Order: sequence, then C-alpha cells, then structure tokens
Amino acid sequence: MSAELEEKMSQVAIDTLEKLAFMFAFSHEGGADLPRDSTVSGSVSFTGPFSGTLAMAVSNVVLQELAANMLGLDDGDETTEDHRSDALQETMNVICGNLLPVIAGDEVVFDIGVPKVLPADQEMKKGAGIPDGLAPSAKVNLDLEEGQCVLFLFIDGEIPKGVVLP
Amino acid sequence: MVRVPKFRIRGNFKRSFRVAINILIVDDSGVMRSMIIKTLRMTEVPLGNIHQAGNGQEGLDVLGEQWIDLAIVDINMPVMNGEEMIDRMQQEPEMKGIPVIVVSTEGSKARIERLEHKGAVFIHKPFSAEIVRDTINGVLGLGENDER
Repeated sequence: MSAELEEKMSQVAIDTLEKLAFMFAFSHEGGADLPRDSTVSGSVSFTGPFSGTLAMAVSNVVLQELAANMLGLDDGDETTEDHRSDALQETMNVICGNLLPVIAGDEVVFDIGVPKVLPADQEMKKGAGIPDGLAPSAKVNLDLEEGQCVLFLFIDGEIPKGVVLP
Repeated sequence: MVRVPKFRIRGNFKRSFRVAINILIVDDSGVMRSMIIKTLRMTEVPLGNIHQAGNGQEGLDVLGEQWIDLAIVDINMPVMNGEEMIDRMQQEPEMKGIPVIVVSTEGSKARIERLEHKGAVFIHKPFSAEIVRDTINGVLGLGENDER
C-alpha cells in the first residue's frame, strides 16, 4: 500500500512542479531527511472519506527557484519571504488537490484546509499538528536541479476499504 | 450573456478588432494571481484592466465598483469562498451575466458539476496557457470571426 501511495504521490508532485513552476524533479530512492536549518516546510490538512495531512519540506534554494518561476521573474531576481511562503502554500495546495482524486477517485468529496508554512525552528510533525506516534503513510524524496524536496502523507487511521483506486 | 462588444473594421484589415476585456482575478494566493496574469499575457486575449481580489467578498466589492467582463475565481478561499461569491453574483442583476471561470484544484466530480450548473466553466490547476486561452475564447466567443 505504501509503495503504491508513494508512486502516486511522486507522480503528482513531479507533474505539479513541472506544470506549475517549470521545475523538473526525479524520484530519489531513500535518502536522508533534509537538514532543518536549510529548509522550509509546510503542511495542508484535508478531511473526507479519510482525513490527514500532506507535509512538504524544500531547501531554501529550491523554494527561491519555485517562487521565482511561478512569478515569472528573471534569473537573479530575488523573491520576498511572502512570495516564497505563498509559493510553497500554493504548491502544497495543488499537490494535495490533485493527489486525493488520484488515490480515491473523483466520486468522493474532500475538503482541503488552508495550507500553512511552519515556523523554521519547529519540528515538522509538531508544527503540522500531527500526533507524535503517527508514521507517514507515504514519503517521497525528489531530486531537482536546485536541490531536494521531501513530501510526507499522514493519514488519520486506516483508509476505508473500497475508497482507494486500484 | 456575453457583454463584450465586437467590432469588425472593414477595408484593408484582415483581422477583427475587439474592445479590450476587463478581467477580475479572485484568489487568496498572490503568487497564483500573478501566474494567471502572466498566463493571460501569453495568450492573444485582448486585455483591458486586470483587477485583483484576495477572496470572494473582495471580489464582489470590485464587481460593484468596476466594469468587469470576465471573473476568474478560485474556490478554496478564506472569508468568502468562490462558490458563495458565484451564488451572490447570481442574486445581483448587474452581476449575474458576467461570465465566470473557476480555476481550482477541486477534484470532486459532484462539486465541479454543481459549479457548472451555476454557469461557471472549470479550469483545473495546474493549467497551461493554451487551456486558459481556449477557455476564455470559448466563454467570451472570441476568435470565432478571426481571419475570415
């Protein structure tokens, strides 16, 4: 189940980064988590046939490129912190909005919450309100030219049988 | 339904000329609003003034003050979401004829159909410039008489 979820999440994230920000990402098997002091992370929660949280962490360099590309800035143009936060939030929103129908189909309805950027000094799970003992149902590491991106999908409880697409 | 007048200039001109279209973009993400504006500028849609709003209520305020030919609206927004904004527009005689394009990540077929029943046309995020151009052309009936 986790491998299938991870494959779906990887494809959606790669597709979103390419279409949203013209950034080309590749799945990276394994690998360590990004160091906290050089990353920005965020999360977006959802409710529906199953509920949970999508969390995303990117290196500062990746986030700068993400925001600049989404805004259509020229090379070397700096983005503001607001731009970068907004770009991360919108990217998580699009990944989450596209991932859930890929997992559960378009017959079910999910409500997606407001994405948030987590404080730099806070551990991701704590900042996203994810219980300490809860392990991610799926984790994806992506390599981009500019650096790394890591995505976690936390699901509350079990996904009801019959909800997940084959 | 479509309030944009079209003018054809006869004589040596081969293309039709239209009045520029005033567009309202309603999205709580400033980056997404910038992306939509950038995409609009990549199309051949004749742009007039582009207005921006961060939620449905702000969008209604702009519609009350400005002449808008097309509203491009996100759904998931704080204060007032896009669906409520569309509902309010339908209750206002001066707003109900304004074409609405919903740009959203919404994946539920039932919700998309509900929006379509309210007269909105749906574009899924992430979108391409071609999809935006074709959808606007279809909604406003642009390009139909070009190159004749």
